[in-house]
Amino acid sequence: MASGIKDKVVILGMGCTEFGERWNMSSDMLMVEAFGEALSDAGIEKNMIGAAWLGSALDDVNVGNSAIPLATALRLQNIPVTRVENMCATGTEALRGAVYAVAAGAVDIAMALGVEKLKDTGFGGLPIRTKGTVNDLWMPYGSAPGTFAQLAGAYQAEHSIKAEDLKRGMAHVSWKSHQNGALSPKAHLRKPVDMDTIVNAPMIADPLGLYDCCGVSDGAACAIVTTPEIARSLGKALDELVAVKALQICTSHGWESQYGEWDGASVRNTQVAASRAYREAGIKDPRDDISVTEVHDCFSITELVTMEDLGLSDAGRAVFDYLDGRYDHDGAIPAQVDGGLKCFGHPVGASGLRMAYEVYTQLLGRAGQRQLRKVNFGLTHNLGGQPSNSVSSVSIFGKL
Amino acid sequence: MADNRLLAVSGYLPLLRFDRKVARSELRWSGLGGSERGFRAVAAWDEDALTMAVEAARGVIGKTEPGSIIFASTSSPFTDRSMAGVMIDALQLSPGAMAQDVSGSRRAGVSALLKALLSGSSELVAAGEKRAALPGSGPHMTFGDGAAAALTGPGEGIARLVGWATVNADLLDFVTSAERGLPYEAEARFVRDEAVSAIYVPTISAALEKAGIAATDITHAVVPEPTAGTYAAVAKALGLKASNPCEEIAAKAGDLGAAMPLFGLALALDRAKPGEKLLLAGFGNGCDVLVLEVTGQSGGSAAAALAQGAVLSSYSRLLNLTGQIALDWGPRAEVNQKVSASTLLRHGRDVHGFVGGRDAAGNVQFPKTPIPVRPDASGPEAYQDVILRDVPATIVSITADRLNFTPDPPFYFGLVQFENGARVAMEHCDVEGKTPEVGAALRMRFRVKAIDRQRQFRSYFWKAAPAKRPNLPVEG
Repeated sequence: MASGIKDKVVILGMGCTEFGERWNMSSDMLMVEAFGEALSDAGIEKNMIGAAWLGSALDDVNVGNSAIPLATALRLQNIPVTRVENMCATGTEALRGAVYAVAAGAVDIAMALGVEKLKDTGFGGLPIRTKGTVNDLWMPYGSAPGTFAQLAGAYQAEHSIKAEDLKRGMAHVSWKSHQNGALSPKAHLRKPVDMDTIVNAPMIADPLGLYDCCGVSDGAACAIVTTPEIARSLGKALDELVAVKALQICTSHGWESQYGEWDGASVRNTQVAASRAYREAGIKDPRDDISVTEVHDCFSITELVTMEDLGLSDAGRAVFDYLDGRYDHDGAIPAQVDGGLKCFGHPVGASGLRMAYEVYTQLLGRAGQRQLRKVNFGLTHNLGGQPSNSVSSVSIFGKL
Repeated sequence: MADNRLLAVSGYLPLLRFDRKVARSELRWSGLGGSERGFRAVAAWDEDALTMAVEAARGVIGKTEPGSIIFASTSSPFTDRSMAGVMIDALQLSPGAMAQDVSGSRRAGVSALLKALLSGSSELVAAGEKRAALPGSGPHMTFGDGAAAALTGPGEGIARLVGWATVNADLLDFVTSAERGLPYEAEARFVRDEAVSAIYVPTISAALEKAGIAATDITHAVVPEPTAGTYAAVAKALGLKASNPCEEIAAKAGDLGAAMPLFGLALALDRAKPGEKLLLAGFGNGCDVLVLEVTGQSGGSAAAALAQGAVLSSYSRLLNLTGQIALDWGPRAEVNQKVSASTLLRHGRDVHGFVGGRDAAGNVQFPKTPIPVRPDASGPEAYQDVILRDVPATIVSITADRLNFTPDPPFYFGLVQFENGARVAMEHCDVEGKTPEVGAALRMRFRVKAIDRQRQFRSYFWKAAPAKRPNLPVEG
């Protein structure tokens, strides 16, 4: 019987670059920057790392395929380095590889690094990719906002929510993230935006306006992990050990997009991954136990529906919970306290690790002016692909 | 005469009707713009001569399985790819049916119909037209996009051939060369006079004589006009009293080229009564004239197509839809849409025909996958083919995407739920104005899926359209 990952692996050190339009930085420079901070935080030598995972979602944009770009950038000599790609869950997937390797006893210390250099595409938003020669014959070429906007209409219809209430609820999601981003020194967007501006922004994909969408950024984030015992032997105090409590990923198998049951108003992969993660972490009531979340707010509607899929809001109520301030910085369960994808930024392969970085920072009380008063468990969530065909990850971190 | 009859006839028009007054107004400074009377039918960016012909053919198939499929057009999107062959796949007709593309003259559709009626075998003739013309030219306004189809075969049918005649004359009312690709017109007065005296009057007389029918007995005369006033002069010369549906079509939708006479025939047979006599002419470098006796009625598709649609009042959008303006769509339009020939051969018949599969437990899905999507399916299963094109469907989710490139924004897409259980992520078409709502009824349309602009290739698939079209203003 599998015993799960809880408390088997701790974070030895983390690093995260400033996210944004890093015009003067290439992917190898971003990798070096994030790694340098993580290595310093871990307090170890590079040659103590036994294996590494590279997360990079879009190999056609400046990073290149295979794990060689990471091994080359950091000059990781003669260790196994693996590249993983699982759309927007890529960073978390890289972390999962490193954590599993340590938990399995295959290596003492492992590293996960996610990076993306998106601002070299020459245009805003994600690059346009084909879906393969067969799917391109019939599958729609929708943009990311277009695929996630589908969630909004179906959610509105399923819960009989007025269009104006949904619009305001979504606007509050983005308003809150802009407020938080302003307190986050490494965030891409650090400017508060008022509700009227958000609500009246140009439409990108009905009903998502400009401010309902996160931008894309350049950036990298890195985690170095080991066992609690090794961490202690390296001089880490017990109260500065942040442990992995759960790491769950759930992947679509076609049910949503091809089988006629899904209502389109929720993301089942998130529901399943969350349920497994709570069980793995031993969390009975997430509304009481989860102190902070960093969820995949690629679009405001995604964050809003995710709170229901995580069980933090009742079905059909997240709109009103947001408007009541439940997920604000001073709310019951603060979300996106570093600004989230919306304002901290979204270099796809790095995002899962950036979320872990913020939770780690909050758990260690290092978050400066955005530091939360009491942090018990922190949850991170990624949603790759689109609601109808997705990869969803839910991870939970807490003190050992 | 062979006892082979017209079994069914159908007409199709694209949704949009451009108000010619708008062009006249926009081009007033230049003195160009052509007639300002009436409307012209404008194909969507993802419609071409083939897709419209397929839509028209959907209105006639099912009565009998045709042994021969003929696609007629002077604006076929390919010069060496059998459009009739793609049509066979789109309509899921027998791959063993004879496929033939006919072209070279607007007469091609009527010539093919005449041969089909004389052949004694069941044939499908589908004509579609989406012709290019330069802004400011007469044809840019007088041409219309559309299609029509006719099915022949043994049986009572809706009409039988009682006489015919043909004449060839290299009258260049306009000519479109391969090199120029655009129509070049002769003087209208010359065209009208010669079309009347050298072509129509002697050929119609000969056909009526063969049929043993007096001109005054004709109740509907489907006579495409190379220029306005032609039919009035023909009727005066021959004593024809019948109305000409082509005049109405030209005013409301434009000259449909190879599809014009067949569309006119469909419209006439929407209105004619059994026993009445019809005249059907195909015009272009001569003419073919058929005299038909009505034995039944067609299904009303042509009349409905003329009455339903949406008015297009933007001249720049017309220029875009007719390929007469080069807009810079930015880097998002640079996506590589190359189609793999081997993939197309492997999956094309299912994709073109929208063929899903019913798995061993009865669940329907598209596309067929080695292991069914049904949650309790554990291994590969055999499927029974299920054609989805006519299955009622509704919207599960939809959006109007304004970010990704599409030639006529916004880009509508989402999940579609079919009544038989199949669920498919699809592009939408024919949406004007407000985004349709979740739960709205849909019907499927055969469309261009994507255009590979680097290689000038296009692929085809089905898209979801609102189940019903709005009615046009009465004057439209």
